[in-house]
Amino acid sequence: MSKAEILASIRKQKGTQVSIRKIAQTGGSALSVSELRNLFIENLKGAGAEVVCLKREEADTYIASAWENVLDFSKPEVIAEYPATCSLEKLNRIEHAVLQGNLGVAENGAIWLEDKDLPHRIIPFIAQHLIFTLETNKIIATMQDAYQQIDLKDTGYGVFISGPSKTADIEQSLVYGAHGARELTVLLI
Amino acid sequence: MTTHARRARQFLANKSRADWHDRTLWFVRQKRDRIAATVPEWENLREQASRIKKEALANLDVYLEQLETEAIRNGVRVLWAKDAGAFNRIVLDIIRQHGAKNIVKSKSMLTEECGLNRFLHSKGIEVVDTDLGERIIQFRQEMPSHIVLPAIHLKKEEIGETFHEKLGTEKGASDPSYLTQAARRHLREKFLAADMALTGVNFAVAETGTVVVCTNEGNADMGVHAAPVQVHCMGIEKIIPKQEDLGIFTRLLARNATGQAVTTYTSHYRKPKPGGAMYIVIVDNGRSKYLGHPKYNDSLKCIRCGGCLNTCPVYRRSGGHSYGYVIPGPIGSILAPQKDVQKYRDLPFASSLCGSCSNVCPVKIAIHEQLYFWRQDLTRQKRTSFIKRFSMKATGFFLSENTRYNFIGIMARWAIRYVPRGLLYLPFNVWGRGRELPAPPAQSFKQWYRRRVKS
Ligand code: SF4
Repeated sequence: MSKAEILASIRKQKGTQVSIRKIAQTGGSALSVSELRNLFIENLKGAGAEVVCLKREEADTYIASAWENVLDFSKPEVIAEYPATCSLEKLNRIEHAVLQGNLGVAENGAIWLEDKDLPHRIIPFIAQHLIFTLETNKIIATMQDAYQQIDLKDTGYGVFISGPSKTADIEQSLVYGAHGARELTVLLI
Repeated sequence: MTTHARRARQFLANKSRADWHDRTLWFVRQKRDRIAATVPEWENLREQASRIKKEALANLDVYLEQLETEAIRNGVRVLWAKDAGAFNRIVLDIIRQHGAKNIVKSKSMLTEECGLNRFLHSKGIEVVDTDLGERIIQFRQEMPSHIVLPAIHLKKEEIGETFHEKLGTEKGASDPSYLTQAARRHLREKFLAADMALTGVNFAVAETGTVVVCTNEGNADMGVHAAPVQVHCMGIEKIIPKQEDLGIFTRLLARNATGQAVTTYTSHYRKPKPGGAMYIVIVDNGRSKYLGHPKYNDSLKCIRCGGCLNTCPVYRRSGGHSYGYVIPGPIGSILAPQKDVQKYRDLPFASSLCGSCSNVCPVKIAIHEQLYFWRQDLTRQKRTSFIKRFSMKATGFFLSENTRYNFIGIMARWAIRYVPRGLLYLPFNVWGRGRELPAPPAQSFKQWYRRRVKS
């Protein structure tokens, strides 16, 4: 009922609107790989995240030595333990969660995750401390470039995360750890 | 005195708070300027954003149906509400159908606009607002005073007091970090027990059937992923045609809102979780009526970034509550009369018409022009006060003809000098309430000029 009425009202009204085609997209960035990497790191730190640069073969040892009770969700045995049907009580006990990032955006430090990276969609939010691994060559310049690379039709859910959860709702003073992860560490490989 | 002016006076009664409010929002505005300046193509992005929105509005029916088709294909149920009443009933139906008891909601100006919380409360259903600022004002039973910073009118001591009462925090404690942690614990319990999550929508992508929600706290995601049922509520104007368009809007939104490069979380919901249910509710509530309006339809491009509030000299010095409408500030002042022209007839006058709002708007709405159009329409419809109309007519009469103009000039210079103050500042001199008349010059510009040319 409502639908037909709304569409009829839109059709009656929209006659006077002129459709305007978009102007050309601004093209990719001229930044080099290392400039992109530096900008990405600077933005992540600005958003309250920690960044550690590592070689691929060092990652596992680093993770194991830096945190106790750490769950690395790139490992099949860990994924198997936390299926989509997993109880919230169990998920709520996650201290440190390691997830693999797909794409990093230099202009704002955002990292893209989608369903295939997430055994359960709530993990990056419910964990107290979130750790991303990301390959340096997956850093691109802007959000516009990012949406050229991802395909929303490939995933039921996807998210850009650019730091620990935060709020400034009390007198505009910045506090980390509002509802989501209190800390974010990015391991750049 | 108009309603806005009266409420603004209350706000200004506490001078130190009013100054704080002014300074804090100006600081946000400066942050916005700094970060916008780091994007060389900023102006180009604004132009593109404006054009995408125009295109979306020009073909709104097509894009909405495309969104629906895509969403249904993704296993999402799509419902349409023509007004606030229909919207509230739809949400109630969904709640009853799923037997939901514990409902969490992340920020949505649309549900505020429709009075959803109040409606559900009257049916015995409580909704927990999970955005920290919204939870604070929900505890205090107030309205948000800003569309992005809902509790900006409060001081930390007041919030501490509220939390002491509602959450049992220590009496007198007002440290923002301590209070935030208390809220985190309290709301985490609510999330874990949630059986339904409601959210607003920042952008809905017709091409893919995705709805996008931006938060810093992560509260939308905590709720949506914890609860088996997720309900996303959007106004019809939230639609954008393509995935690639998101690239432009996500570059503009947070920078323009709070001066951040991006919100901490930019979440894209497209399919329900395994075993879960997902709904999109599309709401008109008076929007389509203005879609074809030659003067006012541009306001539908708004992405609710709050930039025009932060910059507005009137908003900063009168507070969000002085507007009396869910959306305050410059954008609220042009949207409110679309809802109820008589009730909100004073809002288009709550502006200096400086145009700063239009300069910062990321989708290039000419807000100050619309304020001016409203003033013209309201005056034509005789909705403004008699004193205002009369004095405008009189001013027009004297300014439009040479002899009359010279005469009133002489009279005014004489009057300011000799008429007693009590008479000049009679109650109907509304203008003189907050302003001083200038010292009268010895001669008018014309007189001065004539003498100068002669000599
Ligand atoms: S009118 Fe423009 S500046 Fe104001 S809230 Fe809307 S998009 Fe932002």
